[in-house]
Amino acid sequence: MTGTVETGLGQRTRRLLAAWAWVVFAFLYVPIVVLVVFSFNASARVNIWGGFSLAWYGEALSNEVITSAIRVSLIVAAVSTAVSVVLGTAVALALDRYRFKGRRALDGTIYLPIVIPDITMAVMLLVFFAEAFKFIDSFGPRFTLGISTVALSHIAFNISFVCVVVRARLDQFDRTLEEAARDLYATGWQTFRRVTLPLIMPGIAAGGLLALTLSLDDVVISAFVAGPGSTTLPVYVFSSIRRGVTPELNAISTLMLTASITLVLGALALQRRRASASQQTQVL
Amino acid sequence: MTEAVAAVEIDGVTKRFGDVVAVDNVDLAIDDGEFFALLGPSGCGKTTTLRMIAGLDLPTTGSLRIFGEEVGMAPPDRRPVNTVFQAYALFPHMSVRQNIEFGLRMRRVKGPELSQRVAEAIAMVRLAGMEDRRPDQLSGGQQQRVALARALVNQPKVLLLDEPLGALDLKLRQEMQQELKALQRTVGITFVFVTHDQEEALAMSERIGVMSEGRLLQVGTPREIYETPASRFVADFIGRTNLLEASVESAGAVRLANGARIEAETSMAAGSEVAVSLRPERARLQPRGAASAEGSSLDGDVRDITYLGHAVVYEVAVGPMSVEVRSEGEVGQPFAVGDEVTVNWDRGAAAVVAD
Repeated sequence: MTGTVETGLGQRTRRLLAAWAWVVFAFLYVPIVVLVVFSFNASARVNIWGGFSLAWYGEALSNEVITSAIRVSLIVAAVSTAVSVVLGTAVALALDRYRFKGRRALDGTIYLPIVIPDITMAVMLLVFFAEAFKFIDSFGPRFTLGISTVALSHIAFNISFVCVVVRARLDQFDRTLEEAARDLYATGWQTFRRVTLPLIMPGIAAGGLLALTLSLDDVVISAFVAGPGSTTLPVYVFSSIRRGVTPELNAISTLMLTASITLVLGALALQRRRASASQQTQVL
Repeated sequence: MTEAVAAVEIDGVTKRFGDVVAVDNVDLAIDDGEFFALLGPSGCGKTTTLRMIAGLDLPTTGSLRIFGEEVGMAPPDRRPVNTVFQAYALFPHMSVRQNIEFGLRMRRVKGPELSQRVAEAIAMVRLAGMEDRRPDQLSGGQQQRVALARALVNQPKVLLLDEPLGALDLKLRQEMQQELKALQRTVGITFVFVTHDQEEALAMSERIGVMSEGRLLQVGTPREIYETPASRFVADFIGRTNLLEASVESAGAVRLANGARIEAETSMAAGSEVAVSLRPERARLQPRGAASAEGSSLDGDVRDITYLGHAVVYEVAVGPMSVEVRSEGEVGQPFAVGDEVTVNWDRGAAAVVAD
């Protein structure tokens, strides 16, 4: 028929399985479609279609509380991504390259933020900040929860994710290339800059996109460590739910969804490039 | 001894990795303009020795000089040497041109000089037209040439090659052997190359250093190494040989384990346990009784015959020993299995080797 191996499944079974796959697919995506469709609803009633309109997007983007939340989200995402990319890559390099005291312990615990529940992480961070502020305040300056604590918290979990992705890339890295560079008169720094960094860049970029996505999506941790004026967009959405779902929220959610999908697709594209690049090195 | 400064001078160099002694107190001088091979089985320390010359590994003890200058502890970027790596280690994210330019750019060579030297190197290894390709778009032989150009463009005083032909198939390997020799004559610098392939070492190099278990056992021309091996290991590792257990009787004779007395030059003390290395192609087979009085001979029976086309290999049982005789250009079928024969060889054809 098609030249594929006969699996032994009858035609009926195959049709049933295909139908089931569609059911699962619908279960996953219908809510999203509903959300997106109703964000363009002209009616103020969430569940009644009143014609196409972009009014709610306009409404959302002219609401100062929302724009402020968007601004906070973007700042936190940008800062936490930039910092965690540098620190996460440095940690990955250290774990990959050097044997030092405590390396094993660090290797085992660096991934902890990935597995521990958000709520635990949130409580941990809140207690930490409270204690830290008490300590710092005793020297004079006064710190409070705000945008910087949100950013610091995001850095705390993002480092782990960046580190995981970069280490996967480093695992495939051929160290002879660095020796070749050293042999061709490159100093240690030049070797890193010209050979190591460009070759692990796809990993670093993928880690960065992951960090950006996680930061933009985080609710629980941000809700705990945010202070007045430092509400992020997801936290705003979560708190407004209590006042009922509005078409405005649909519009915001659609915007966030678009941003997340774009970032994830970007990360996937980079990872695919990484895969083909590693195939190339194998041919070598 | 000439007064010329050695290109590479290794003095009592030892390299330990933890408890493992990779290179054990090696002394070696490689001359200017020489094609030198470091030969030995895998794990014998030859690659580590090469890496110490390159600066990729640092000696645990000892001194290493390149043209008289002590470089033992210098980083690789401070040494006038370049390396062709085993799997070439071309930078996959750079084009052929960028790979070749790398060393010059690191040394801040710019403008017309940079492009001229790169163009010369590309022409030398016949890669014109390939400048903008990536390494993964090249064949194995072309990659090897890029690796050569990338090293030679820097005009190193010594070129180091780590199993340079190991990744190529047989036919290409033989071509590249000739090409490497020609290239070395053209550039006129010292080539030090590491190989486990004894034929390659014999065919390509002016001198060979044979290594085993971290020690440098013998250094000499291919002819010296092949014809007068200094030890049982060298005799056995280079080419095929018969190793006959013996003990020294006097300066001119040894007695084999089966009691036969053989004339052979040796400087070892009487009573020393030695082996006589007899190359299969240096021995002749004759019908029993017809042996000439010249040289040495052993009586035996033909046990097995292997026909190779260009040669015939006889396995001759001499008492409990077995002697391989390789006969080339033989006409007809002079011997059959079971024949009583005499293995005969000229004086000086066999070498006495220490254990």
